Amino acid sequence: MSQETGGADAALPQPGDDRAAGAMVRADLVAAIVFIVLGAAILYASWTMPRLEVRRIHPMTVPGLVPGLLSFALVVCGGILAWRSVRAPAPGGWQSLREAVLSREAVRALVVAALALVYTLGLVGTLPFWAATAVFVFAFVLVFEVWLAEPRKSWRTSLPWAMGLAVVTAAAVTLVFERAFLVRLP
Amino acid sequence: MFEGLGLLAGGIAHFLTPVSLFNIAWATLLGIVIGALPGLTATMGVALLVTLTYKMPPDQAILCLMCLYSGAIYGGSRTAILLAIPGTPASAATTLDGHPLALQGKAGLAMGLATTSSTLGTIVGIVALALIAPLLAEAALKFGSYEFFWLALFGVVISGQLTAMDDPLKGYIAGIVGLLVAMVGMETLHAYQRFTFGISALGGGVDLIPAMVGAFGLAEILGVMKRTVHARIVSSADRVVPRLGEVVKYWRTTLRSGIIGTFVGIVPGVGEDVGAWASYAAAKRSSKEADQFGKGSQEGLIAAETGNSAVVPGAMIPTLTLALPGSAAAAVLIAAMFIHGIRPGPLLMVENPQFLYQIVAILLFSTLAILVFGLSLTRPLLTVLAVPRERLMAVVYVLCVVGSFAITQRMFDVYVMLTFGMVGFILREMKYPMAPLVLGIILGDLLDLNLRRGLLLTNGDPTPFFTRPISAVICLIIVSTILMSIPAVSKRVRALFTRDRAGGSPA
Repeated sequence: MSQETGGADAALPQPGDDRAAGAMVRADLVAAIVFIVLGAAILYASWTMPRLEVRRIHPMTVPGLVPGLLSFALVVCGGILAWRSVRAPAPGGWQSLREAVLSREAVRALVVAALALVYTLGLVGTLPFWAATAVFVFAFVLVFEVWLAEPRKSWRTSLPWAMGLAVVTAAAVTLVFERAFLVRLP
Repeated sequence: MFEGLGLLAGGIAHFLTPVSLFNIAWATLLGIVIGALPGLTATMGVALLVTLTYKMPPDQAILCLMCLYSGAIYGGSRTAILLAIPGTPASAATTLDGHPLALQGKAGLAMGLATTSSTLGTIVGIVALALIAPLLAEAALKFGSYEFFWLALFGVVISGQLTAMDDPLKGYIAGIVGLLVAMVGMETLHAYQRFTFGISALGGGVDLIPAMVGAFGLAEILGVMKRTVHARIVSSADRVVPRLGEVVKYWRTTLRSGIIGTFVGIVPGVGEDVGAWASYAAAKRSSKEADQFGKGSQEGLIAAETGNSAVVPGAMIPTLTLALPGSAAAAVLIAAMFIHGIRPGPLLMVENPQFLYQIVAILLFSTLAILVFGLSLTRPLLTVLAVPRERLMAVVYVLCVVGSFAITQRMFDVYVMLTFGMVGFILREMKYPMAPLVLGIILGDLLDLNLRRGLLLTNGDPTPFFTRPISAVICLIIVSTILMSIPAVSKRVRALFTRDRAGGSPA
């Protein structure tokens, strides 16, 4: 089944495509297991959801009906995905998946996620919003221009930019939203 | 017919005020800039602007959002031509011929043609919107719970099928996950709270705007920052304003692409990118210069740009008449309309017929603004492209936080944005399309309520879902769509047709 998909309309083959495809096949398997577990959990929750017999509602209109049907569909789709992924040949798939997860690109995405999490869950709420924003913008620019950039910029050139942008963003966002649009900020 | 023209004139006159014209100008320009910046998409722009237009009168708010939407779909072409990076997914097909043209020293011509094609595409779509929407709205008045259940399901299935071109299964999964997200919170038939786990904030369900800001904002930031490659801007020296001959030379392609784009727009949840690819493929198939496609064909560029722009008005057809979003950005527009007390759906033409023609007028104005800005502001837009993404993305994330917080003023929505951003990023990396997910969130309620309401009306008997004529047709389309996405089935069906043709017997 999966052999058919790469046929006529396949994109231009590029070096590294095979490895990426292998990693994707294995990633599909992991995702499929997550979908099956999620689907099964929702199916159970829908089945055990109160049927509101006391209120004498029609048994075909119970609140759990649609979530139950949907989660069943999710389990089926997850099953097909898993079956397809197991059958597809993916030599070195696990290896390339591990490399993809530990690649430089993944590290960059993780750093963005970490900065976003620290800012949103940690700084906003403990500091005033403008201060939290300034710290976040400053850190973000410095991290990606000096530490994770290729080629790296010297911190001497980035520092003024980072500070300037941090101050301008913090001031502009606070003024525009609180004064002009009368929105309360977190 | 004449009543329609009168309403259209009313719509145009309605926005001929200084405030409206000012709003049209800045929103369209902002849209072009957002579209041109890689990593900022039309959907994300519209979702973030909802916050800023929150306090405006409804007509002005929708005006700004629509202008930003069509501006952004156009703006992506700039980046596609000069950087070979689509500014938004909608301009991916533009890259194929636009960038080679720029490399040949015809960047100005490419930008000019992209601008005029966008305008012409939008106009084709606008004509279709003004003609089809009233008819569809009238037909939709006969729709009952049964039909709306199937329509909701149809929207998610077709979006799943068409936005994940090579792997519909992932599209379906994304759609189902979206529908399941919509199940969280109070259901409307018996007022029972589902899957809230005792968290009171979940009682109202997951709001679309923060979810969209996450899935199209944060996820996009993660995707953009992940890459380390830098693109080089091709300089342009030739004239930008194209000659009339160059514009009308491929009028067949323009018209065909406009119609294809409009049609793709009408299909729920299938957006500008598919419109561009579909009309590009059609143009290539019927072109006399097919070998030039991909090497700097003006026809290919025209097809791609006309196709993606025509999707915007086309998408408004189901959005306004059925409350079925025609594209991901249209889903945000629906949410924004609800915020401003406008209820899209079959009753819109009864309760508020002038609104449809206001939308038509808005699109006309925005496309004029695009034409003017696109042909005049070449240099300033170049500087926009030079903004380093390290600095831009930091500011965009701050806007994501503010944008998801500001509408209901609770931190819960910011957490929703974060969750959808992270999960959305992982799903995107594994090639799951986001459009069906979004469509699922917005259509989940419709599907759930209408299925159970239909069953309640018939005392638990599901037959009307299959025997009412319109229901039966939509149901058949859904079943055949799903069946055709199974490779084994579609192969046999195709073999059947080719054998028939070979044997000379008509199918």
